[in-house]
Amino acid sequence: MSDAQTSLGHPRALGTAAQTTKSRFSPTQLWRWTAGPAWLLAALVTWKWPDADDFPATNEFAALLLAVGLVLIAVAATGRLKDRAPWTVVLGLGFGAWELIQAKLLLLPRPFFGTPQDLLDVFLTDWKRLGDSLFHSLLLLTGGYLPGSILGIIIGLALGRSHHVRYWVRPVMRVIGPLPPVALLPLAFVVIPSTRWAGEALMALAAGFPVAVLTWSGVSAVDPAYYDVARTMGAKNRFLVLRVALPAATPQIFVGLFMGLGASFAMLVVAEMLGVKSGLGFYMQWAQGWAAYPNMYAALFVMSLMCTTLMTVLFKVRDHLLKWQKDGLKW
Amino acid sequence: MVNSTHPEAPLGLTLSHIHHSYDMPSGSRLVLENVSLDVEPGEFVALIGPSGCGKSTLLRLVAGLEAPDAGTLLADDTPITEPDPSRIIMFQDPTLYPWRTVRGNISLGLDIRKEKDPEAIDAAIRLVGLQEFAAAWPHQLSGGMAQRVALARALINNPRLLLLDEPLGKLDSLTRLAMQAELYRLWKSQGFTALMVTHDIEEALLLATRVIVFSPRPARILANIPLEWPSPPHREDPRLQELRAEILRHLEAVMASG
Repeated sequence: MSDAQTSLGHPRALGTAAQTTKSRFSPTQLWRWTAGPAWLLAALVTWKWPDADDFPATNEFAALLLAVGLVLIAVAATGRLKDRAPWTVVLGLGFGAWELIQAKLLLLPRPFFGTPQDLLDVFLTDWKRLGDSLFHSLLLLTGGYLPGSILGIIIGLALGRSHHVRYWVRPVMRVIGPLPPVALLPLAFVVIPSTRWAGEALMALAAGFPVAVLTWSGVSAVDPAYYDVARTMGAKNRFLVLRVALPAATPQIFVGLFMGLGASFAMLVVAEMLGVKSGLGFYMQWAQGWAAYPNMYAALFVMSLMCTTLMTVLFKVRDHLLKWQKDGLKW
Repeated sequence: MVNSTHPEAPLGLTLSHIHHSYDMPSGSRLVLENVSLDVEPGEFVALIGPSGCGKSTLLRLVAGLEAPDAGTLLADDTPITEPDPSRIIMFQDPTLYPWRTVRGNISLGLDIRKEKDPEAIDAAIRLVGLQEFAAAWPHQLSGGMAQRVALARALINNPRLLLLDEPLGKLDSLTRLAMQAELYRLWKSQGFTALMVTHDIEEALLLATRVIVFSPRPARILANIPLEWPSPPHREDPRLQELRAEILRHLEAVMASG
């Protein structure tokens, strides 16, 4: 992937250099130098324009905007802010607009729509509980997704390589697999003594099914000549499964791992909202119960950050393992 | 030379009364009918015949990838019951593993037998002239280069018998000429018996010491033509034209009657 980046980055870098020599006020330059001022403008609005109500942390929010604005100006001066400059400008103006619409003019109904400083206040005062919830969510997710994925790969390999396993396991998978794991939650809470274990078991099921099916499909698609080549050199079944079938099926396995991760996220939130007494889902449920909407938004923000980070990590792992492929989707 | 450290004698083959058939949806289909063939150690035998006649099946049986329905296969008087690194098969497609680099593909046989021998890998890469591509991925190679990697991957096992299933069939004509010369050079220098399936009569006549002509399916041996050139023949040699006509006569006779 790094190759692709440099080969993509190269012509663009050339283009920028050419534009710089032609005129000093190219669009790229304009975006770069507006990024910092946009945030400074948002800071000024937040600080000077009086609040419509008694909101917490207004000055802290203004200080945050100011700090980001100054950092952006510094970064622009070193010449680094390039691709992300337009987004940075729009984000700064967006925060300014949000501040203006809700904190200064109160155009949207409260308390469903919060102000930026409400949100910031939650992070400043309740960060301990948010962090703790994040930690518990990650723990629950790992306890379900990891074993589920590993089991899925093993079952998929067995399905792809053994007639006996296919005969006995396929009908079971066809009955249980397409059922949304959420539907099993009430049953799982009754049958499994700990709600934690119940959540983990269902997450493992949610991840394991797509991983198993796609591993199986990947193994089935392996060119039989790949096995012949290894066999003629003396390879036995262990080598054929682990060093031929498994790497050949890796692209498909990762499709399953991505689908499984998405399904696990869904299962995680539902399990935390309905039974498990910790985690971000539980926090959100609790915040909604107390009509603490800023807390709910804060938890939503943390959850989105968690999901996208985990997806990114999985993409990085995939790009590393599949660097032999000609091309791939970039996250 | 890959096997200079452990020289091994080329393998002789004795195939007697081989019958083989495949299960098809329409029933059993006979592909080999009473095939008997002796190959002396160090020979280069070319198998020629109409496509789909069962020559490739014969190679799979000799490689030990499949067992015949009836008949015996002996490699130096030992029955062939399973694949063995001394009998390596090379296919029409290079069948390189896309997740291994050129170097990783060539070392496949060593990895399977858990041997570590970086020098042998280097030697095999040099043997086919791919030093600059050792770290390349298979999708970055041309057809000819990929087939040379497959050749090096086969030769690193020090095969005593090389089974070639139309190894040059999919190459363009220029690459094909270069690879023919390469195969000939390697057979001369590496000391292995070669059994090659081909559809190219000229290729068979130029490379082989003996040409076996097969009938359409089920394959029977129609002719066994030893070639004894005092010196390597030239492509324009009139004797080549005569032999070519003779082989075509055999094939046309059986095609017309069948």
